[in-house]
Amino acid sequence: MIVVVGLSHRTAPLEVRETFATSADVLPAVLARLASHEELREVMFLSTCNRVEVFASASSPDGMAAAAKAIRMALCDHAGVGDPEVVAPYFYDRIGSDAVRHIFRVAASLDSMVLGEPQILGQVKAAFDAATAAGTLGNHLGRCIHRAFTVGKRVRTETHIGAGSVSISSVAVDLAKRIFGDLTDHTVLLLGAGEMAEAAAKSLGRGSRHIRVCNRSFERAAILAGAVGGDAVQWDALGDELTRADVVVASTASRAYVVTHELVKRAMKLRKGRTLFFVDIAVPRNVEPSVHAIDNVYVYNVDDLEQQVAEAMKSRTSEADAAEKIVAHEVADFEAWTRGQSVAPTIVRLRARTRAMLMGELERTLAGRLRHLAEGDQAALRQMMESGANKLLHAPTTRLREIGATEGGLDAVRSVQYLFDLPDAPEEPGASDIMDPDQAGSDADRLRH
Amino acid sequence: MGCGERRRGGRKSASAPYVSGASSPNRARFEHVNSFIVDGLFVATASAYLAACVLFIAFLGNERFSLAGKLAPRLVALGAALHATHIVVSSVVWHVCPVEGIHFAMSVVSVLACAVYLVMRSRYRIDVVGVFVAPLALTFLLASHLVAATEPARRYRTSILPVHVTVNLLGYALFSLAFAAAVAYLLQEKRLKEKRLEGIFRRLPPLDALDRAEHRFLLAGFPLLTIGILTGTYWAHEVEAGSATDIARAVFGYATWLSFAGVLCLRAVAGWRGRRAAYGTIAGFAFAVLVLVVYWIKSVGGPAAVAAG
Repeated sequence: MIVVVGLSHRTAPLEVRETFATSADVLPAVLARLASHEELREVMFLSTCNRVEVFASASSPDGMAAAAKAIRMALCDHAGVGDPEVVAPYFYDRIGSDAVRHIFRVAASLDSMVLGEPQILGQVKAAFDAATAAGTLGNHLGRCIHRAFTVGKRVRTETHIGAGSVSISSVAVDLAKRIFGDLTDHTVLLLGAGEMAEAAAKSLGRGSRHIRVCNRSFERAAILAGAVGGDAVQWDALGDELTRADVVVASTASRAYVVTHELVKRAMKLRKGRTLFFVDIAVPRNVEPSVHAIDNVYVYNVDDLEQQVAEAMKSRTSEADAAEKIVAHEVADFEAWTRGQSVAPTIVRLRARTRAMLMGELERTLAGRLRHLAEGDQAALRQMMESGANKLLHAPTTRLREIGATEGGLDAVRSVQYLFDLPDAPEEPGASDIMDPDQAGSDADRLRH
Repeated sequence: MGCGERRRGGRKSASAPYVSGASSPNRARFEHVNSFIVDGLFVATASAYLAACVLFIAFLGNERFSLAGKLAPRLVALGAALHATHIVVSSVVWHVCPVEGIHFAMSVVSVLACAVYLVMRSRYRIDVVGVFVAPLALTFLLASHLVAATEPARRYRTSILPVHVTVNLLGYALFSLAFAAAVAYLLQEKRLKEKRLEGIFRRLPPLDALDRAEHRFLLAGFPLLTIGILTGTYWAHEVEAGSATDIARAVFGYATWLSFAGVLCLRAVAGWRGRRAAYGTIAGFAFAVLVLVVYWIKSVGGPAAVAAG
């Protein structure tokens, strides 16, 4: 069974989420640490601006609570939270079909702050790739994530949930225009030179004449500056740059505040009170929250921006109902597949047992009364017995698969196990077979495109 | 416009302040027609301003009413044109110079404020500030009719008086707009600080545009106010004004000048922009309004004015 443990914008404020945020470079180590817990069979780690979640499958059907506990402990260890009870109110657990529904809703952006936002599917894909590369995904959770990609695609194509897209970037531009009006004569400073800075530069920089890029690595700053037609500046010059810039887009991976209250206070004196607007799209945040209290300074972080986006996207909620129906349908399908998978070991054992019994009897007869038969005749008899066993078991196997996929199918399976004296406790689907990274990657790509 | 102003007749018509007793049936008929025209212009002006207010609010309140946003400034323009006609016709009918007497002065302020708004709204991108300008114009129009029409006593009619009143009226018009921009700025700033951007004022102009407009209106109005203060001081000295209302008016006048001077100086020297400048502008405008209130108290013959006068 699948279990999800995590925290999101619905349960935890940004200052809590940023404690648990994990960058891509440390993800393999985190996955390895999670996978080392014997309660967990498969693991995937999703860390975005809005959520930090672990998707996992438990080692045994009875070990869900233990698996959830292990995940919480691992997350707290990773974030350096000494007492897990302190952050316990921010966490949630989803188990079984609730967990599957949650994963599908996340991929379909139904659980996003901005309903219908397109980035989440790519973020789930990145998390899936990382888990596959780390060898922590198996057939069960892997299959679930595959289905999540399909659900995400279906929701986007079969509903209008993504129509009239309003992004964080467009909201940031709108806010900048509410403050400055025309951005033509204003300077945009990009703090950080990653993908987010580049995306912001494309939106904000479009109307701006001056773009400056400030990054710890000057080389990367120069590359981005070249790409967006701006100037690269040294990291040490940040204080001076704050006196020039009108809009600052902060997106560094720093875990400490890069722009402090004191730094901005000094800059505002030199700016003679000219308005300064910070767009802090980094998690953890780059700009100290108290900066917003300074006169003529405005700081909007990820939550603020997404809140504005969500306000603008209220009309999408009617589409959410249609999307929820798709999710419900897909969850039912996946559950049926899961139950069908749980029947497989019983079918295999039933066939093996029947075949072994029939073939055993045949061999004994061939060694006794029918030993005079030629080799060709004995082979023909064996073939006949094989065909007979297959024909005999065809209908029960088919019925068993059908019944097994239904909600009450487990009882029927147990009856068969009892009638034919098969070992009980059907195995968890995906108990074996860690997913091959290449195969998983190509499957995911196929589903996404 | 000192304490010795004399009244010319009672207020038989809301817009016929200078009606005097009829001396013949023909004259009475003539004055009746004139009153009808002036009253009609007054009602039409007030209606245009009121309609502009309603359209501005409708435009702010609902995105679907974009047409209202286009029509509202035109109604302000129509109101200002009717208002100007009303002032001209009234002054011709009653043989009064419009820059003499608080009755017309308040009307002229609102017409000038509307005119400056209409000229500058595109340049400063402050179309929506009309939501404050239109009610302000309407308030001044109605307030002018609460003020009894008086004309200055002969001893107060010095050569400098028309200059004093004219520059003050222009200054008041510009300060009215600076005030409107300051109020709009504070609303917009509050919304941005509280991060609540939806609601009726979501179409307010950008913060910087409002701050810039407010500053430029102050810059334009301040020299006029300075001339008004200087000419007023000279005039008071010349006519030996010294009543309680004269003193109160002078005190509030100086307070107005000091407030605006402070806002402009602190902005240049200490970078007082935005919210602080807006509060300073509103304070200055409040003192300016108090000057008019003193005129009003005097014109309705309040106890203090009576005691003083």
